[in-house]
Amino acid sequence: MTTTVEEAAQALREIDLIRHRAAGFQDYQAESGQLLLWGLAYVVGFALTACFRDYLIPIWVVVVLVTIGVGTWMASRTGADGARVAWRYLAVIGTFLLFCLALNIVFWPLTPEQGAMLAPMLLAALYILRGIQLRPRYMVIGLLLGTLCLGGYILLLPVFWPWMTLACGGTLIVSGLWLRAL
Amino acid sequence: MQTPDEIIHQPVRLKVMAALNTLDAGKWLEFVALRAIVEATDGNLGAHLTTLENAGYVLVKKDFAGRKPRTRVCLSA
Repeated sequence: MTTTVEEAAQALREIDLIRHRAAGFQDYQAESGQLLLWGLAYVVGFALTACFRDYLIPIWVVVVLVTIGVGTWMASRTGADGARVAWRYLAVIGTFLLFCLALNIVFWPLTPEQGAMLAPMLLAALYILRGIQLRPRYMVIGLLLGTLCLGGYILLLPVFWPWMTLACGGTLIVSGLWLRAL
Repeated sequence: MQTPDEIIHQPVRLKVMAALNTLDAGKWLEFVALRAIVEATDGNLGAHLTTLENAGYVLVKKDFAGRKPRTRVCLSA
């Protein structure tokens, strides 16, 4: 059997396409677990905040710490290089939290509602950017998250906390399920 | 000059090998995911996997995820 130059070039293009598609599939699979985890965390955090406004800070400290612990454990189980992935995960989450803290300091005083908008809006922006650069589903997730959260803040402030349970936590959970689906 | 391996250098089987080659060591890819990646039908992909498995290029594992039957594939070492 002989192979022409054109056939070989076509085969290489197909291999490249398949590798890109397979990498995207694995990327979505890894991301879906984190989206489900953080979606659940936001549902619990916002629901508890809606019920116990006076305990906002302790609620979120516990929710965030538990979620980081579980998320790090999940990250460490991905691939053969789990330890490095876990450290990178902690660095990303740490940067995210420090940026939110910095915004709180710069714009202080913020209302609890304003403070609660920082993380979802930053997350939405990051997903849109990631979607533009890498994979289209991330852009959809970012746009949906940003639109629902900002829309709720502008139009539904009296029911802000229950709304955010659905708009932020719900969106992340649905997004996680969507990434898992083929 | 080396001649192409007729088992691997068939279009669908080449795609299968390219997809499996992206996996980390010890990782398996589910049949349904592989089917979506290479855009093949159940029967077509199953036949090509049998060919690759018989030639020793891939490993195929059939088990259950809960109550659902599951087929997973990876490159053989």
